[in-house]
Amino acid sequence: MAHLNDDHIDYILKDLRYRGIVLDGFDQEMVDHICSVVELEMDKGLRFLDAYHQTLTVFGHTRGLRSTQKEILTSENQNTRLMLRNYFKIALRNLSKQRFYSLINISGLALGMAACLLILLYIGHETSYDRHYANVDRLYRVNGEIKFGGNHYQLAVAPAPLATTLMEEYPEVESAVRFRTRGSYLVKPEKATEALREFDVVWTDSTFFKVFSIPVLNGNPNTALQEPNTIAISKSMAEKYFPNQEAIGETLIMDRWPFKITAIFQDMPLTAHFHYNFLLSMAGLEEAKSTNFLSNNFNTYLLLKPGARAADLEAKFPQLVVKYIGPQAAEMLGGEFSMEKFRESGNKLEYTLMPITDIHLNSDLTAELAPNGDITYVYLFGAIATFILAIACINFMNLSTARSANRAKEVGVRKVMGSMRSHLIRQFLLESVLLSVAAFILAIGVAYLVLPFFNSLAQLELSIPFGDPVFYGVVLTASIFVGVLAGLYPSFFLSAFEPVKVLKGQLSLGSKSGIIRGALVVFQFSISIFLIIGTFTVERQLNFIQNKKVGFNKDQVIMVSDVYALNDKAETFKNEALQNSSITDGTISGYIPVSGGWRNDNTYWPEGSQPTEQNMVGMQGWQVDYDYLKTMDMKIVIGRGLSKDFPSDSNAVVLNQTAVKRFNLGNDPVGKKIATYAGNNEDGTIDATKTQFYEVIGVVEDFHFESLKQNISPLGFFLGKSPGYASFRFQAKNTEEVIRVLESTWKKLAPGQPFQYSFLDESFGRMYASEQRLGKIFAGFSSLAIVIACLGLFALTAFTAEQRTKEIGIRKVLGASVSSIVVLLSKEFGKLIFIAFVLASPMAWFAVDWWLKNYTYKVDVGVLVYVLLRRRKRLPGYLFRNSR
Amino acid sequence: MHSSELLKGNLQTIILKVLADYGKMYGYELTQRVKSLSEGMIQLTEGALYPTLHRMEAEGLLQTEVVQIGRRIRKYYRITASGKSFADEKVLEFTAFIRTMSTVLNVKMT
Repeated sequence: MAHLNDDHIDYILKDLRYRGIVLDGFDQEMVDHICSVVELEMDKGLRFLDAYHQTLTVFGHTRGLRSTQKEILTSENQNTRLMLRNYFKIALRNLSKQRFYSLINISGLALGMAACLLILLYIGHETSYDRHYANVDRLYRVNGEIKFGGNHYQLAVAPAPLATTLMEEYPEVESAVRFRTRGSYLVKPEKATEALREFDVVWTDSTFFKVFSIPVLNGNPNTALQEPNTIAISKSMAEKYFPNQEAIGETLIMDRWPFKITAIFQDMPLTAHFHYNFLLSMAGLEEAKSTNFLSNNFNTYLLLKPGARAADLEAKFPQLVVKYIGPQAAEMLGGEFSMEKFRESGNKLEYTLMPITDIHLNSDLTAELAPNGDITYVYLFGAIATFILAIACINFMNLSTARSANRAKEVGVRKVMGSMRSHLIRQFLLESVLLSVAAFILAIGVAYLVLPFFNSLAQLELSIPFGDPVFYGVVLTASIFVGVLAGLYPSFFLSAFEPVKVLKGQLSLGSKSGIIRGALVVFQFSISIFLIIGTFTVERQLNFIQNKKVGFNKDQVIMVSDVYALNDKAETFKNEALQNSSITDGTISGYIPVSGGWRNDNTYWPEGSQPTEQNMVGMQGWQVDYDYLKTMDMKIVIGRGLSKDFPSDSNAVVLNQTAVKRFNLGNDPVGKKIATYAGNNEDGTIDATKTQFYEVIGVVEDFHFESLKQNISPLGFFLGKSPGYASFRFQAKNTEEVIRVLESTWKKLAPGQPFQYSFLDESFGRMYASEQRLGKIFAGFSSLAIVIACLGLFALTAFTAEQRTKEIGIRKVLGASVSSIVVLLSKEFGKLIFIAFVLASPMAWFAVDWWLKNYTYKVDVGVLVYVLLRRRKRLPGYLFRNSR
Repeated sequence: MHSSELLKGNLQTIILKVLADYGKMYGYELTQRVKSLSEGMIQLTEGALYPTLHRMEAEGLLQTEVVQIGRRIRKYYRITASGKSFADEKVLEFTAFIRTMSTVLNVKMT
């Protein structure tokens, strides 16, 4: 049998290729087949060439071969798997050929997506609050709103008897529970000597476990809190105070009083708007039995009956107010008072229900159990996430269309070879989806690495739900969605090229930007500029707050907490501390001018008039000692401060300027008197027959004692004991010595009690901690957005410059200077950035103005910000171009 | 020689059955085998054979294996498990068809 040599085979191969048989795999197969037939023919005595031509005739010559090839090709194209494999192959080839752009594309997208992922985790966390209770759809909190005269209160608390009244008289209510917070406690087991300070302590009713489905691990939830002096503690606290030991039945000393542990409950989840570790039985709290409807101190939560509507119950509240609060108010204010008249004159006293799931994001009332989140931030970050994603997607689109000049030829050739538009669209979409999926995988990695930093910045405990199949589903869907979205425009744009024009070289849309690309760049930079202005403003406002004169000197003041632990030795402590030469002043008072201090709101009226809702003023009454004003460095404007030299000062008051204004005491308030109710009846209601008068002896300059978001409210200093903090003003260089002296004195006077101190300026700063966090996070994300936008612009300009290499060369040869070329290249994008600036600034102005509305004291938005911005904005572009 | 019209519907059956009975084969070998089995009555054309082979490979009925012989690259086709059961099915279908045809056309098979 004849054997073909290599020359023959090469001949056949070349000939077949010449005839257009190029399909991968099929050509080789044909060669083999033809060779076998030719060999057979040659055995019959034919020469090679004759045998070959004979064989070709059998195969139907070029036409026959081609139609076979086409048939195979068509069937392969109809086979999705094979087609996809081809798409993949070409996509990968393209991406690796254009490494620089692929890299910028993927990293830009990945950064953007990682940021989005983090923000989504944050939003998911914020919106998941309080959803873990079994009866969550039936849980409500009673909110109060009281408005009379110039006073306006929005409260998260309700009167003590409201809960019982609701349970007894309103069929909609299945159960109710109240909370009463009394600040921190010093806690120790009966047998221990050292006490620890605990903040998460609250008094509550025995219905607690019925209303809130918090699992009780040990003890009977139904009876746990029924007896006075009983306590339920969380699992972690049980382990903390009674390690390796059964905690139930043991006794805890809270400050001075013993409580028997009757239940251990599972730690409350982080996503609850309150988390307490110690629940004290309200049965032992006298105040809880009060029938006084005029004092609001109890956070009251209701569990409605299944099927009961909150709106129906809410509609009955006005009657309740008339029935219970009306008579008590009338008694206090004298006979002429009636609820109807009160309401007619524009006053308000009403209670509403708030679903428990709304509390975390939508409630910022007085006396919240804990500071809540803010729905604004959720919207804000949602918007930022969208912005960042939009910027990243636009980068992607711009780069792809910019590359179109290079790919136009590919499209032309493909179309000539018989590719259909749908094939091309699919090819380009697949490429972008591939990029997007790669970017997503990278993004998850980046997010995983960055998450710890983000958590510490935002003070959260977020984690990526790697174990959750839903997460993967969402990520995959999202990546495909983003890929398709980002690839849609380029793919339709590219696939629309007409082959004749492209191959003639008439179409080079890559170098000169199209309108759409310009618009996208403008959009991107509008967002960036918007974010920059936003960041600037947040920054400036925070600085403003930190540096604003607050009316007292917050520096160099150290505050020792829990002075009540010293019992009657508090004065001794103060005096011994003052022996030290570094400590200049000292005062003992729980009332400190930063949030977290004690507060005591009461109503007063000017002497010589009957108390009515018109002239009553809600005012902070702070019990302080003689040295308070001096230690805090507050400025007396009129009169004098409280003084040992005047024994009558026990009935004196020093007002702030706002209080003087509200009492209408005129320019010379000293010597005038204000009055308040002095005693309660046995049932806890106010005894209208007893009044107490205070003489105004001085006026202190207004000072901020709450966040600057709030106005300064009326305030008066009274002489009295409030053993919360011992505050000392000291000299700057001796901080460590001061702390040492205070600690040793404390240890001597109060053995076993924890010595805890803080600095006034730090506590002041903490009031704005959430704003500062916001500022940092905001700055972080907006700089990210800007980086991504610049990355895109960078690639785009690099590309344009590359496209115009020849032009630049010719210009240089003809004598163009470097600077003129820089101007030439900058002009195009400079124009776009200018338009972006014009568009973004009014938007940003409105947004910033809206945000600052939250603050009573705020910076002006200022023109300067905008001027500054223009400078900064142009910079990156120039830098880059110079380096070219 | 039988007309290609008649063969058309049974090309798959023939290829699968032959591959099932005689093991792996390359394209040319297959045409020769069918020719000898049918005593020259069935001549597979390349134009019909290769598209069918490729299609069946894509459908998973056949597996391929490439062997380099000098400058020539030879592609062997081998039947898969699913191809085998499909072949049996096809053969049954065809015998049933012949039975029906013989009744309809009223011919006696020898």
